[in-house]
Amino acid sequence: MIEEYIPFVGEETIEELFILSKKLNGVKVLHVNSTYKGGGVAEILHRMVPLMNALGVKTDWKVFKGDKKFFSFTKKLHNLLHLGYGEKIRSEEIVHYLKITYENFKEIDTENYDVVFIHDPQPMGLVIKKLPGQKWIWRCHIDTSSPDPNAWNFLENFLNAYDVCIFHMPEFVYERIEIPTYIISPSIDPLHPKNIELSQEEIFQTLTKFGIDPEKPLILQVSRFDRLKDPFGVLSAFRIVRKKYDCQLAFVGSFAEDDPEGEEVYKELLNLTSDDKEVFVLNLPPDSYREVNAFQRGATVVVQKSLKEGFGLVVSEAMWKEKPVIGSNVGGIKRQIIHGITGYLINSVEGLAMRIKQLLANEYFRKEMGYYGKERVKHRFLIIRHLKDYFLIISKILNSKS
Amino acid sequence: MNKPFIFKSEFWVPQYTGIKVYSIKEFIEALKIVDEFSIFYHLYINIFNYHNLPTFYNNSFSYWLYKNGHFLLAEKLSVIDPLEYYDLEELRNVLVQTLEENYNPTEDKSGQEAFYFSKAEREIIESVDVANNLDKFLEGIKKSSINSVFYHLVTSRIENKTLINDYSAWLTNLGEAKKAEKITKLDVYSMNLYKIKNKIIKILEEKE
Repeated sequence: MIEEYIPFVGEETIEELFILSKKLNGVKVLHVNSTYKGGGVAEILHRMVPLMNALGVKTDWKVFKGDKKFFSFTKKLHNLLHLGYGEKIRSEEIVHYLKITYENFKEIDTENYDVVFIHDPQPMGLVIKKLPGQKWIWRCHIDTSSPDPNAWNFLENFLNAYDVCIFHMPEFVYERIEIPTYIISPSIDPLHPKNIELSQEEIFQTLTKFGIDPEKPLILQVSRFDRLKDPFGVLSAFRIVRKKYDCQLAFVGSFAEDDPEGEEVYKELLNLTSDDKEVFVLNLPPDSYREVNAFQRGATVVVQKSLKEGFGLVVSEAMWKEKPVIGSNVGGIKRQIIHGITGYLINSVEGLAMRIKQLLANEYFRKEMGYYGKERVKHRFLIIRHLKDYFLIISKILNSKS
Repeated sequence: MNKPFIFKSEFWVPQYTGIKVYSIKEFIEALKIVDEFSIFYHLYINIFNYHNLPTFYNNSFSYWLYKNGHFLLAEKLSVIDPLEYYDLEELRNVLVQTLEENYNPTEDKSGQEAFYFSKAEREIIESVDVANNLDKFLEGIKKSSINSVFYHLVTSRIENKTLINDYSAWLTNLGEAKKAEKITKLDVYSMNLYKIKNKIIKILEEKE
């Protein structure tokens, strides 16, 4: 399976990965997160775990189980860490978190592993089971740079028992962290249905199926229906652009049945655009990978006008498809887009409108930025680089003296 | 007899040092004390990370200065070619001196975008490929990744404390001084590593 990546990264890179993996001969690795399906972490692990095994590093993946009450608390915890505000943590929630953690002790065997990766706060408490000689890594996928202090105190109780932690970018690291902190960007998989090559025919058919004219310029934002993704700002920018350019706008996303806020944003967008035939608000099933792929490949310009963002890998997905991407100067977006080279970083509706116009007017810019965008992703945001980074961390911490 | 050439490669993962600065004054003070592999990361690894893109500047120090409106300082640092140094402490002194000579405290601002100092945690690997003659050397270069090219051309010089890269040193010992000199003159600071690799292959294939 690893050989399937040769066309993207070259044979020599794969050969080097094999050499690196031999240094980890006999090492057993465990990944623990809180879901098999849905979300970026599970998506990466579905590919990462088989790849680690294919390279000879025995790796397992186990899922931490919790009930509704547990996950509603960890969602709150996530928001407190990421946004820095929200409803305070209650003591009974902490008790329940610990109860569920103890229940998972029986289900999740961590004893037979040399290195344990714990993803995000949900399974963090498992570190109580850490044995002497084992190395535990906390892999944080969220921005905790300015957390709610109480939420951080709760997290810190566990964090200091870990050997190292990993964040997507230094900007996400809270300054009180005392254990060694590594920086590893997340990645996209070029073999995932949402990133594979598609025929021009399939792209055209997908756009047409949803009423979009494949011959007319298309501006696209792919995201959850969420106010933090600022779809209303995108719509305002589009209305400025439309004064001079005949083009279309598509919002492609989804909301879960249990996400009332998502549904509210979706309906509000529908109402605002109901008399505009050039705006498409599409709520697709969460596994519409090929469709999203086709939209990204069929788009003229891709935008990501988030007000706050984690890493925002959807930016790399579009760059991989050689699209110029205009994104807000926030979170991981500013790490992916190189302003003026692979797209533009913007700070306002007006900035977005101006850059869209600039790109619609200049095919040369679009092609040039698209080319460099793909080059950037090829070197920095593909899963093979991510795999290599994990191997390096494992090698480093197993050889460290502490 | 010339020792065989062992093809190696290099990987790294960034470790955040916990040092975050906002003003030029803080930046200079941090630069004086930061781990030397932080300078290595922001100057040398940066060349690798952006070698295939026409970025505004080749090192992340200059790019940060530029983004915060310190255009003069950005330019002054950008012209410092890390390949002219093999001693990271010497390079640190040059960077600090350049900043101190050109820094205008009245133009320093706080509240601008922060600079985060990271350092490189490195791992060197050896491939099975070994060259005893020019043909085998050429074959090995053709099979080399750009990480390997980067290691032998750039970072091995820091390990070996010399301005001469691995390839040129070995070729000189082999009696191929002209080829060695041509490789030494390649501008790794400004060129795409794929192009550099192709140029090396071309130099090695040239009949003299």
